[in-house]
Amino acid sequence: MLIGTTIYALINTAILALMAIGFNLTFGISGIANFAYGAVYILAAYGVWMLLTLFQLPYPVAVLAAVGVNLLLGALIYRFVLLRIRGQALSEVIATFGIGLAILELFRYLGLVGFEYHLPVFVDKSFVIAGTYVDFQRIAIVVFSAVLILGLWFFTHHTAIGLAFRGIAQDERTALTFGIDSNKMATLSMAMGAALAALAAVFIIPLGSISPGEGYDVLIKALAVCIIGGLGSTGGVIAASFIVGFAERFTDTYIGSHWTMIVSLAAILVVLTVKPSGLFGNQKELEERI
Amino acid sequence: MKKMCLLGLILAVACVGFIPAQTTQAAEPVVIGVPTSTGFLEGKEALKAVNLAVEEINARGGVTVGAEKRPFKVESIDIRDAAPGVPVPEALLGLEKIILEKKPVALVVGPFRSEALMAGMDIIAKYKVPLLGTIAMSPASEAKVKKEPEKYKYIFRTCLNAKFLVKYLAGTMAFINKQYGFNKVYIMNQDVAWARKTAEIITKVYFDKAGWTVVGHEAYPTGTSDFSSGLMKVRATGAQVILPIFDMPQSGTLVKQWNAMKVPALLAGFISPLAGPGAWKTFDAKIGGAINCNFEIGSGVYSDKVAKSKAFAKAYEKRWGGPVEAGHGISPAYESVYLLAEAIERAGSLNADAIVAALEKTDRAGAMGRIKFDQGHQVVYDMDPEKAAVAAVLQWNTDGSRTIVFPPTIADGKIKLPAGLKPVK
Repeated sequence: MLIGTTIYALINTAILALMAIGFNLTFGISGIANFAYGAVYILAAYGVWMLLTLFQLPYPVAVLAAVGVNLLLGALIYRFVLLRIRGQALSEVIATFGIGLAILELFRYLGLVGFEYHLPVFVDKSFVIAGTYVDFQRIAIVVFSAVLILGLWFFTHHTAIGLAFRGIAQDERTALTFGIDSNKMATLSMAMGAALAALAAVFIIPLGSISPGEGYDVLIKALAVCIIGGLGSTGGVIAASFIVGFAERFTDTYIGSHWTMIVSLAAILVVLTVKPSGLFGNQKELEERI
Repeated sequence: MKKMCLLGLILAVACVGFIPAQTTQAAEPVVIGVPTSTGFLEGKEALKAVNLAVEEINARGGVTVGAEKRPFKVESIDIRDAAPGVPVPEALLGLEKIILEKKPVALVVGPFRSEALMAGMDIIAKYKVPLLGTIAMSPASEAKVKKEPEKYKYIFRTCLNAKFLVKYLAGTMAFINKQYGFNKVYIMNQDVAWARKTAEIITKVYFDKAGWTVVGHEAYPTGTSDFSSGLMKVRATGAQVILPIFDMPQSGTLVKQWNAMKVPALLAGFISPLAGPGAWKTFDAKIGGAINCNFEIGSGVYSDKVAKSKAFAKAYEKRWGGPVEAGHGISPAYESVYLLAEAIERAGSLNADAIVAALEKTDRAGAMGRIKFDQGHQVVYDMDPEKAAVAAVLQWNTDGSRTIVFPPTIADGKIKLPAGLKPVK
């Protein structure tokens, strides 16, 4: 049981990290808390489902199209909505939450609810790892999450755009003096965040089904992970995913399923009490210093 | 003469103008309110079933209220009580809103969650609007009706309740025990009132008495989407049967994980995503052997032995372009409209108390079998569709077809063990 629980805790960690990484990227660079994140995740899932079911497109093409649409949507949200209210945190939250709400409730209004809305798994096989059955999709999630995080690290440390991202994230005004266009970077960060949400949906949705309600769950989980880890910190996302991922699975196995949510929320409270900015965040400390 | 002609012409025009004015004035519609979670499959399909019944009745001229034929009109509101995290008071706001704004003569379908129904009973009693509930299942609401009948007489339930569900699940378990000797069960239920109550009652009235061992019991909060720990425990404890009791969409993940983790136990209970014919495609043809109790015949499955369940299923499919997929609340939603129409006609008025009195006298052969209410205003469910309403326990076959295996009166075959499972005796 211990080995099995550890394996599924690792998988849960990877799922949480994959869910949160896009939200974290956008916030880390532009400072925008994209509350439409859960909605764009679901939008991508429905998009892939439609392309597969109604237009019979090959899976990879449908995925690429959905990622592309999300990329564009993220950029458009920034250009036409967020650009005018940039820097007003509450307005940004209200605007993005409103967009998210509109998208999710539109799907609900259109009646896109039911078990027929699901995405196929990549490969329909299970493997035995240390005596525990694990399906290919979950293994794929773990591998993809690891590759994605490494890829993002490489991107932000070894590419011009990535370095510009970090410049804006560290000090926007100084970055401007170096000729880095903060609006352009913020647009890109919104676009990339939305595209990462699409990729997360493509990997995670095949484990269950698509429903508008999932959009709210994803947003809450992404927020929880980012707040524990420290908003904007990739290391924090990884650490928080481990904490929540392991807390959930071990509580489920050794205490009881109905305690899972309580223990996770308690973990959030404990971390925030000890480190108000999250594990790797520094906003509160900076504010206090000023 | 000219004057006479002119007068005649004026009179003729007046008559022509007057007569159509009288005949084209439509009778005022009788409003039926549908406050439920329309964003969930059961709510969406229940609303469609209500609309289907209303269209059928209106096509025949409507409902007779006294001497007048009046059409039905459906007004719905999404009260969202099925969604995780939505507080009961928010759902009750929707219930009160539709009563106050749309002035329905009665409500059908109603809340998903028994918690919302229990709290909503006072609102319904306050405004004296009859409710024919088709989804919430806790028997606690009937206890309230029995305790204070004058106050809560407006609340009726046409779907299965947790007590009757236990009869079907216990019957199925007894079949499994008798045929294959299985006697170790692992119970997994959603952490909501009706599912908790079902698990509690079946343990007390069947498993404890019939010599079964409940090797484990997990209650999952609504919205749970990982069942790996529970399934590992099933394997570790050597359970032969998993009894799932869930109505949330995420319970489909349990079926997928049961497959992926190759858990050597028979899945037999209620998981809403397993109820309809579309489940075969949803779960990539990997549910052969799984057993599901559809709460009412006509909801997600029909039987040739209950002609009206088949007629309803065919009419639904023709009207909406696809079959009923939900295993709960759909045929009761359809029948509730007919029960209401018949009660209004018997009462001869739209007075709530008169409708309630007429509803209490219901005796109708409907899509779920014979429909009669007991003292707690619950439709009686039993094993014979000629005498009571019935549920249907079905088993998925390896070719994607389904066989009704319980109750014996409508069964088309016996329970078969899926490949990989061996009988104990």
